Amino acid sequence: MRHIVRTSARYCLLTLGLIAAAAISASPGHASADTDQSKALAQLQRKLDQSLEAIQALTERVHELEAKQAGNVQAPSAAAQLPAVNPIVSDRARLEATEQKLEQLEKANASRNADDTGLPLHGFADVGVGTRNPINPGLKGFNVGNLDFYMTPRLGDRTRALFELNTEVGSDGAVGVDLERAQIGYQFSDAATVWMGRYHTPYGYLNTALHHGAWINNSLRRPKFLQFEDNGGVVPAHTVGLWITGSRHVGSGRVLYDVYAGNSQRIVNGALDMQNAGSSHENLIAGGRYAYQFNGGDIDGLTLGVHAFSARIAETVSANATRVLSYGGFAVYDTDQWENVAEIYLFDNENLHGGGAHRSTAGFAQLGYRATWGVPYARYERAALSQSDYYFAALEGGSSYHRVALGVRFDVDLKAALKLELANTRLTDRNRDQYGEGLVQYAIRF
Amino acid sequence: MPFGSNSALLGVALLGAALSICSSAALPNDLYVVCNANVILQPSEVRDVFIGEKSFAGTVRLTPADNLSAQTAFLGRVVKVTADKYTSLWTKKSFRDGANPPPVKLSDAEALAYIRQTPGACSYLQSPPPVGVTVVGKF
Repeated sequence: MRHIVRTSARYCLLTLGLIAAAAISASPGHASADTDQSKALAQLQRKLDQSLEAIQALTERVHELEAKQAGNVQAPSAAAQLPAVNPIVSDRARLEATEQKLEQLEKANASRNADDTGLPLHGFADVGVGTRNPINPGLKGFNVGNLDFYMTPRLGDRTRALFELNTEVGSDGAVGVDLERAQIGYQFSDAATVWMGRYHTPYGYLNTALHHGAWINNSLRRPKFLQFEDNGGVVPAHTVGLWITGSRHVGSGRVLYDVYAGNSQRIVNGALDMQNAGSSHENLIAGGRYAYQFNGGDIDGLTLGVHAFSARIAETVSANATRVLSYGGFAVYDTDQWENVAEIYLFDNENLHGGGAHRSTAGFAQLGYRATWGVPYARYERAALSQSDYYFAALEGGSSYHRVALGVRFDVDLKAALKLELANTRLTDRNRDQYGEGLVQYAIRF
Repeated sequence: MPFGSNSALLGVALLGAALSICSSAALPNDLYVVCNANVILQPSEVRDVFIGEKSFAGTVRLTPADNLSAQTAFLGRVVKVTADKYTSLWTKKSFRDGANPPPVKLSDAEALAYIRQTPGACSYLQSPPPVGVTVVGKF
């Protein structure tokens, strides 16, 4: 019996040790750690707790049986009793020591902050193939998309920082690296955070919610007129300057606001440049966004908002400058089932060197349904951009167009998505053309 | 045969222990959302705290932590999302706003130690909380 007890205790201790070792060697410290590992750790922890309880119950039961057995047999001599008692006492001591170690580990892990686990690095990447390149329709075949890294270091109670590096392949095949965001901020409260640096210009919904990182987007690509500056976009996607943002509960929902000012963009080689190093002409872009997000009730998930900005944007070669005034609105219905987005932009531009005033419009509407098997979506885009406006005439992507797109996203797993899109684009002024596209994209996050 | 009956009992007990080890734990009946003693929070605000929409309680900076041993039940009952959606939500939140997701504690004991040690800390427990912490609510 004692042999069995000792053997059982050894097995229990061995099991306990193995579980404890596994738990200790794999202790996580961050919610963004791998989910499977976290679940495995949770399971190990539960098993460990259950093992301790089982061992405790077994020990008590064995004691009880030992006591009964001792009553049935003649009591051995004191000298013979010693080796029988000591192993149990020794095993108990070892169990208690193990429990104490576990308790110490739990306290140590509880007090460990993410600060001492290093800087978490996250990112997105995508590759694709298509009858045309999704950005440069003159190319076709396989393509390398973006490799995007972002870092959110934990700096303190109120200081915040966000850095994003993106590598992308240009139409000439050259790989370029952009510091997409470099912003450091101070959070006064939930209602006010002040950021300084380079940030996503807060207009509409897409530009701040679904920017780089193809995995985040259900659709395969952004609307053409809202592409990034070096991909033919006509609205400044980034600004270098100051940005105040926050939210406040009002009624059953939340008011969201953004106010910003920064270096006014300029046009270099047909693309908007956000003047990272500083403004060359002392002009500012200034704007804001105001929205209300409904929480609860039949319209839970609906956000309605307006946005506007004004900037004096010059073209470096011709020196033509335009007072760009853009304003519009957006609506988002984002729930467990739906991701519906619509944005509209109106431009009342004034060419400052004798070109007069011009009005242009652009917008899109996208409907997406989150089915169990994937996310089918449909999108219609339209940009009617005045070609007599120096601003749009100087931009490579400043032509008018219609685009209809149908697509679907399949989540391969939690970190990978496969997207397919069929689109038809009709260019309506500068280069009258029409083309269809069949696109495939494989996007991941890490 | 005392030895034989003891062996059988021990065998049954070991089998029971093994089964209990291998079986998955049941979801807890009650969940207690608990914060550091310096935090005053309403139960209706808990969801916002854990999805990063509420970072302050008065002037106190909130530092929520997930408790992995009760996370599934907590996310279902309080945050109203699945674990997968919670992870996805924080991926987007982190990318958009530069916010960091709550750190993860493995057990009630760890979560409780974190709450006691960290000003502004909030987490959730399966067992009734002891004195010396703020109990925001039972879910």
